[in-house]
Amino acid sequence: MTTLSADAVRSASKKLTMPTLTIDNQTISVPEGKTILEAAEALGIMVPHFCYHKELGAVGACRMCAVTVHTGPMPGLKMACLIAVEEGMVVTTGDDASATFRERVGEWLMLNHPHDCPVCDEGGECQLQEMTISSGHGIRRYQGGKGTYTNQDLGPFIAQEMNRCIQCYRCARTYKDYCGGRDFGVMGSRNRVFFGRFKEGMLESDFSGNLVDLCPTGVFTDRTFRFKSRAWDLEQADSVCPHCGVGCATVPGGRLRELQRVQSGDNSLVNATFICDRGRFGSGYANHPERPRQARQGDQPISVGAALTTLETQIRAAIKHHGPEAVLLVGSDRASLETNWLLQRTAKHFGCRVPVLNAHHHRHQTAQMAAFDFSDQLASLQDIRTSDLVLVCGVDPLAEAPLLALALRQAVRKGGRVVVYDPRPVELPCDYDQVAIAPLALQELLADSGAEGRHLRDLIGQAKAPIIVAGADLLGPVGFQKVRKWAEKSSNAERPCLMYPVLAGANSFGTALLSLPEQDDLLTRLDSGKVKMLICVETDPLLEAPDGERFAAALTRLEQLVVLDYLPTSLSTHANLFVPTCPPVEDSGTFINNEGRLRRFQQVIKPGQSLAVGEHPSREFSLDTPGSDPQPAALLLQRLIGRELPLAELHRQLVLEQPRLAALTKLKAGEAGSRVTPAVARPQFIDQLPEQPVQTLELVVSPARYGGDLFSRYAPKLEPRKRLPCFYLHPDELQKHGLKDGDNAVVETDFGSFRLSVCSQPGMAAGCVLVESSAAFPQLIPGAGFSYCVISPGGANE
Amino acid sequence: MHVIRGIRGTFQPFWVTLRNMFRKPVTIQYPEEKQQLPERYRARLILTRDPDGAERCVACHLCSAACPVDCISMQAAEAEDGRRYAAWFRINFTRCIFCGLCTEACPTLAIQVTADFELAGRDLLKLVYEKEDLLVDHCGNDNSYNFYRQSGIGVAAPRGTNPGETPPADVKDLMP
Repeated sequence: MTTLSADAVRSASKKLTMPTLTIDNQTISVPEGKTILEAAEALGIMVPHFCYHKELGAVGACRMCAVTVHTGPMPGLKMACLIAVEEGMVVTTGDDASATFRERVGEWLMLNHPHDCPVCDEGGECQLQEMTISSGHGIRRYQGGKGTYTNQDLGPFIAQEMNRCIQCYRCARTYKDYCGGRDFGVMGSRNRVFFGRFKEGMLESDFSGNLVDLCPTGVFTDRTFRFKSRAWDLEQADSVCPHCGVGCATVPGGRLRELQRVQSGDNSLVNATFICDRGRFGSGYANHPERPRQARQGDQPISVGAALTTLETQIRAAIKHHGPEAVLLVGSDRASLETNWLLQRTAKHFGCRVPVLNAHHHRHQTAQMAAFDFSDQLASLQDIRTSDLVLVCGVDPLAEAPLLALALRQAVRKGGRVVVYDPRPVELPCDYDQVAIAPLALQELLADSGAEGRHLRDLIGQAKAPIIVAGADLLGPVGFQKVRKWAEKSSNAERPCLMYPVLAGANSFGTALLSLPEQDDLLTRLDSGKVKMLICVETDPLLEAPDGERFAAALTRLEQLVVLDYLPTSLSTHANLFVPTCPPVEDSGTFINNEGRLRRFQQVIKPGQSLAVGEHPSREFSLDTPGSDPQPAALLLQRLIGRELPLAELHRQLVLEQPRLAALTKLKAGEAGSRVTPAVARPQFIDQLPEQPVQTLELVVSPARYGGDLFSRYAPKLEPRKRLPCFYLHPDELQKHGLKDGDNAVVETDFGSFRLSVCSQPGMAAGCVLVESSAAFPQLIPGAGFSYCVISPGGANE
Repeated sequence: MHVIRGIRGTFQPFWVTLRNMFRKPVTIQYPEEKQQLPERYRARLILTRDPDGAERCVACHLCSAACPVDCISMQAAEAEDGRRYAAWFRINFTRCIFCGLCTEACPTLAIQVTADFELAGRDLLKLVYEKEDLLVDHCGNDNSYNFYRQSGIGVAAPRGTNPGETPPADVKDLMP
């Protein structure tokens, strides 16, 4: 059952006629193509409904939204979600005919619904509860038996209770139509209609969690949140997902100082009302049992205030004795915009050199290309959803930006085309063409040469709204420069060719925008030998930047290592001085996402040690909350420089310094968010490709879908989805090296030598070795630039 | 008139006192003597069991939501057979105003009021009752209701065998 979404209806009727209609004696003009239900919603009149959803559209299956149309081509009782508004229509929603009809429908929908609201996790936020009450049905009259079903085990994320189903088909429309999952659907006939998998087992889609949000009742509930809290007891606030650069709107919910669940927020320009499973179930980092919550000096616990005083003294002493180069502050693309800007402030306050805002220099340079060079032609995910041609260059969307994959699917559903140029065996939940191409060859292609390049140019030339999606990790700054040139060449006045950069961190764009293009990288500055004190704020260069060995060697030359972080990273254990900070759910701040959109997140819960599962709360009374020492990094930095400002004043000062962020002062959480204004100056990179050494293969390091980003490594709920690492090679390449699928091999790289089994992967480019970065190989970091390796058989399996 | 009223006002109280002096007193010597309280008197709360002997409370949080003084807190957990129960359940009787709204909200008849009002003490913490203090070994004022037999999900009995239910549908059956 494929239905057109509201967007499709909207784009199909580009004519700007605005029919005026009257609903319950109130008059409104809405764009043509809108339905009575949408018009009523705009007036604030709630018509009960189930199967209609603003992203999935209407199917008219539940019969709940009956209204009476008095004038029009076909007067009478009509389904509000199906009837498009017409000029002069008069509609009533509360008249006897439609109200009685809705009451009967409510009664009929409840025929088989169990009486188990007290033990149902949906209770309290259940659309069926609300709609049944609003329809007026109360007492059951039907004397027959209630139908029952046998449930399926759908894996560790989703719990199913089929008895509660009211057959609205929303789940199938979400999972199959919108998200492109293939292992879930509708079975059976008459009153035996069943929604599930053919066989029991874990749902395969990377967007399976959306079933929980979309099911109007409690058939699909979050298994990881099972019986943990009631909806009305949760502390919830509008937030932003920190897992990748897409910046999806989320609504995390916490209780008793524990982040218990994440639901999708609503941002029509970014993620619509969907989020991926990594964002939904990957929130374990906030309550990780090893999360550091105590400030330390060496091994001695100290108070946060004492730690800040010590830090200030140490910074002043280091600058006094060794000069302004002696103190180096490092920011991060997972820290908020405010924190990164305050780092620059702190450097200025103490008179030390500008901070390094991203330890991963290569990624940082690429993000700068996006922040400066792309900034006037950036596409949003909504643009991608309505595009007719999307070229995906060097991106594996499900691994790097899952919601991008969902946006690509919507483009294809509306008749668009997706062409992927990538060395990896890219999987997308839609029809697409893939050209498996090695990274160096991809750079040459982007340089607009050869037959494939001409073909590409023709494709873009014919498209009505082409968009180029560019992956930062694979293309690098040089590749981004080429994408920019290509987009410029393909654009004309009435039809721009937009770009969508895929960056690694939630705030990669923001850190890039704040920093100056000519900035040295972290390792160069450390190797100069002048740095005596390193202050890492919410970053661990050992895990987040390539060349960890060089960084580790530089650490031994330091006099002081200061770490401010909320993740239990290895660097925090090395620190001479450690101060705990707060993750985004315990802080308020701003991220800038891939499309240059400012996204505000709000504090959801307060920091503190949560109760372990099943544990009894203390019977002792105390004014202190255990483990509540962590404070937001932005606040700590302000206390360090002795200037605590309210967020609004901080933003005003930030905008004065960075006029591109003008929208920051009016930004609110839960809003779509405005873009940064285009840049004036642009960085330039030397367009020179390295020569590939003979007899080598290109090494492609790609983030794993689960466990690739630092947050999901500290998310225990995601364990079932994590895959064992192995080297992927094209079957021809395996044959050339005398290897078989499943053999062990030794791969010599610039980052060390690794022994792993090999997997044959026919979908990928020849001449490459693909490996997924994960906790098992912290040395292998994606986006480190071109890298080569030599593969040789690695002996028998153990 | 003022004089007559003044005289009456002076002597009437004496007469009232004199009249009641020889009556039997209505007060009782509490705590040596106990009063018989009305059947619906609202005092200390208890958590009852269903007729099968299992805990009635499903930790649905409706009592804590209904509580106007926020004196009830709990955490739900899942037992191996799928039963939802309270991992811990706490009522702070120093806060409780014995309004009985929790018992009205309770969908499983688990939380009930008793007539035991003797909750005074010097140690306030002793009035913070935990689940083991609240749980009793009887059904309270209803000895027939078992929520899980009416709920429509298979916890107390296999799916489709509770009263008013049809056996589970065979979804692969194609018969019309």
